[in-house]
Amino acid sequence: MDALLQGLELFLSVENFVAIAIGVAVGVIVGSIPGLTATMAVALALPFTFGLDPVTSILLLVGIYKGGVYGGSITAILVKAPGTPAAACSVLDGYPLAQSGKAGKALKMALYASCTADLVSNLALIFLAGTIASFALQFGAPEYFWLICFSLTVVISISGTSLLKGLVSGLLGLLVSTVGLDLVYGTQRFTFDNFNLMSGVSYIPLLIGLFALPEVIDFYLRKAKPLAVRGADASRVSWPEFRRCLPTILRGSGIGVAIGAIPGAGATAAAFLSYGEAKRTSKRRENFGKGEIEGVAAAESGNNGVAGATLIPLLSLGIPGDVVTAVILGAFMLHGLTPGPLMFEQNLDMIYAIFVGILFSSVVLLIAGSVAIRQFVRIADVPPHILLPVVLLFCVFGSYAVQNQMFDILVMFAFGIVGFIMMRIGMAAAPFLIGFILGPLFEDNLRRSFLISDDLGVFLRSPICWIFIALTVFSLIVGLRREYQMRRTAKAVEADS
Amino acid sequence: MATSLKNMKAAVLGLAAAAALALPAVAADDWPSKRLTIIVPYSAGGATDVLARQVAELLGNDLDETVTVENRPGAGATLGTTQAAIARPDGYTLFMGQVSSHGIAPAVYKNLQYDPIEDFSPVTLLISIPNVMVVNQESSATSVAEFITMARDGGMTFGSSGVGSSIHLSGEMFKSRTGLELTHVPFRGSGEAVPALLAGDVDVMFDNLPSAIPHIQSGALRALAVTTPEPAEALPEVGTLSESGIDGLEGFAARSWFGILVQDDVDPGIVAKLSDALNRVIATPEFEAFAETRGAQIEGGTPQAFASFIDEELEKWRVVVDEAGVSVE
Repeated sequence: MDALLQGLELFLSVENFVAIAIGVAVGVIVGSIPGLTATMAVALALPFTFGLDPVTSILLLVGIYKGGVYGGSITAILVKAPGTPAAACSVLDGYPLAQSGKAGKALKMALYASCTADLVSNLALIFLAGTIASFALQFGAPEYFWLICFSLTVVISISGTSLLKGLVSGLLGLLVSTVGLDLVYGTQRFTFDNFNLMSGVSYIPLLIGLFALPEVIDFYLRKAKPLAVRGADASRVSWPEFRRCLPTILRGSGIGVAIGAIPGAGATAAAFLSYGEAKRTSKRRENFGKGEIEGVAAAESGNNGVAGATLIPLLSLGIPGDVVTAVILGAFMLHGLTPGPLMFEQNLDMIYAIFVGILFSSVVLLIAGSVAIRQFVRIADVPPHILLPVVLLFCVFGSYAVQNQMFDILVMFAFGIVGFIMMRIGMAAAPFLIGFILGPLFEDNLRRSFLISDDLGVFLRSPICWIFIALTVFSLIVGLRREYQMRRTAKAVEADS
Repeated sequence: MATSLKNMKAAVLGLAAAAALALPAVAADDWPSKRLTIIVPYSAGGATDVLARQVAELLGNDLDETVTVENRPGAGATLGTTQAAIARPDGYTLFMGQVSSHGIAPAVYKNLQYDPIEDFSPVTLLISIPNVMVVNQESSATSVAEFITMARDGGMTFGSSGVGSSIHLSGEMFKSRTGLELTHVPFRGSGEAVPALLAGDVDVMFDNLPSAIPHIQSGALRALAVTTPEPAEALPEVGTLSESGIDGLEGFAARSWFGILVQDDVDPGIVAKLSDALNRVIATPEFEAFAETRGAQIEGGTPQAFASFIDEELEKWRVVVDEAGVSVE
C-alpha cells in the first residue's frame, strides 16, 4: 500500500503528464504514416530520454508505442495504406466503409475499440502480469507451432469471394516468406545472389505495395473516373452500434492480451485472429469484408490488446517480446534499472508509477485520437486526383524510410503490381500477408521442435498443444462449413433473382 | 573558337587536378567542417544502434559538429557494411563495426561484397561485451566440468540468437574445443532464445552478458563461466572458461565488440584526429555510466592496435567457422 502511494506520488508530476501527451500524439502521427512504425519512433526517441527521470522516459516511450499502434489504422481506413502491418486487418472493412462515405464512423469505431482494448490490456498487465507471464513461458516451439497453425486457419475467414483464391494467395505469401537465409543452416533461398534479398523481403514495402499501390494504379488506369468530391463526413458510431460490437471488442482484447504476452507472436496475428473469430461468430458475417463496422472493431481491438500485454514478459520476466519492448528495456537499463522479478522487490514504487501512467495513457489515446480523426477525416474529402499522387509519394517515402534502401522501393512497386493483378482477378490480399508474416514463425517453430527433440511426440507434449490442435480442427471444420453454407445461400439468392 | 574551348577544357582540367591534389592536405587540418554520419548496419533500437547514438552525441560535443546515425540494416549487417565501404572516403562517413562485420561475417559469407581489411581503415575499438555460459537454475550442472560430464551422454542442445551470431559461434567454439556433441537450436534474437532456456527447452546458451545478467541476478539462470580470458566486471564471482581447468578450453576468448572504422583511403591525419576524439569520448563519465549499465568493458587505443585486433578476430572466427562447417555459399 505504501508503495502504491509512493508510486502515485512519483507519477503525479507535470513532466509525466507532458511525456504521455507528447508520446501518444507523436505515436499517432508517426503510426499513421505508412512506413514509419511505432518501433522506429520509439527507437529514435530513446536518446531524448537520456536526461529524463526513469518513470518519465518509460512513459514517453510507452506513449509513443501505444499511439503508434493505434495510428496505423487511420491511413489504413482512409486510403488503404496501413501504417503498420497489424493495421492491414483494419483495411478489410475500414476501407469499404470509407469508400461509402463513412470514414468518420470507421475511424471512430477504430478509436473506441483501440482504447477499450488498450484499457483491458493495461488492466491485464497490472493485475495478471505474474500469472500470464508464467503461462507465456510455457510456450515452447511445439506449442508455438500449433498456435500458428490455429492462426493460419483465419485465412478461411479473410479469403473474400473465393476460398480457393484465398488459399492460393496465402500460399503465395508463404512462398515469398521463404526468401532469404534459412534459419537453421543459413542456406540462401530464392535470393538469386542478390545481397538485398539475404534477410528476406522486407515487410513494410511489401505491405504498402500489396495494399496501397493497387488503388493508385487502378485510379490511373481508369483515367475517366469523375472527380468525387464529397461533403464533410460527420458519420458517428451510435451507442447501440458500440454496444453491439462490445462483445467483439472484449474478445479481441482478450486475444490481443494472450498473443501479446507470448514473446515474438505479434500484433498482426492478434488482429487477424480477432477478426476471424468475430466473423465466425457474428450474426452479420455476410457483411464482413464489405464495410462491417464490427470488423473494424474486431481488428483494432485485437491489434491494440497487444500493446499493454507485450509489457508483461518485459516487466515480470525481463524478456522483451518484440523490438519495441527491447528498446524500452534499453531505456530501463540506461537508468540502471533491470525489469524482472527483482524490480518488483526493489523498485515497486516505480512499477506502480508506471502502471498509473499507462492507465492514464489510455485516456490520452482517446483524446489524441479524437483530435487526430477530426483532422485526418478531411483526407476522405480530398479528390482522388490530388490525394493519390500524395499517397504514392508516401508509399515511396515509407518504403525507403524503413531501411534507407532503394531496393525496398523496387520491392514496393513489384508487390504493387502483384497486388494489382490480384485485385483484378478477385484474389484477396490479406491471406497473402498472413502467409508472409506467419510463414517464418510456422517454419522456425516446426524445425526448432525437431531440433529440441528427435521424438515426434514433442508435438503432443503439453495440454497447450492439445488445446491448440483442438482449436485448429474446430476452426477448420466450422469455418469451412460456414463458408460452404454462405456460398450455397448466395447461389440460391442469385438463382432466385 | 575551337582553340578557346580547348583552352578552357585544359584550364578546367588543370583546376580540377590542382583541387584534387590540394584536397587531402587541406582535409586533415580542416576536418571536421561539416556534419558526420555513423553508418549502423542494424535497425534502430538494437544494441549497436543505441551505442552508436550515444557515441554520436558525445562525439558531436567533442568535435563541435553534428553527428548523425544512419541505419542501414539487412543481410546480417553485410549490406550496411558494404555501403559504408564504398562511401566517399572524406572522413565524414564513419562505420560502427562489430564482431559480425569484422570478425564472423567474412568467415561465414563466401560471397561478401566488402573486404574487411582492404576496404576499411580501423580507427578505435570502443567497447567489448563478454558472453556468458548460462544454464537453467534447475539444471544439475553447477560448474563447467559438471556440465561437460552431463553432456557426454549426448542429446543436449544450445540456443542462440541466430546462425553466425557471436552467441552461436561461441557455442561452436566450445563444442570443437571440448569435443562435445551439442545440437544448435537457433532463434531470432536473444529475446526469443532466453525464454526457451528459462523454460528448459534448450540446455545451455552462451548469451551476451547484458541480456543474461537480469536472469542471473534473479536466480532464474545460473552462470557457469564467462567466455573472455578475464572475469567480467559485472560478474566478478563467475570464473572464465579459459581458467576452468578443462582440457582444450585454455585461452578460450569469445566476445562481442564494437569499434569505429572509416574507408581505407581516408587521410591518416583524419584517422588520427578521429581516434583521439573517440578516446576522449569513451573516457567521459557519461560514456562510462553507459558502458557500466550494459555490462560492457571500455577498450580504446590506437588505430594500429585496433587493426591488429581485427586481424586476430578474423583468424580466430575463420578457424571456428571452418571447424563447425557453418558457411553461407
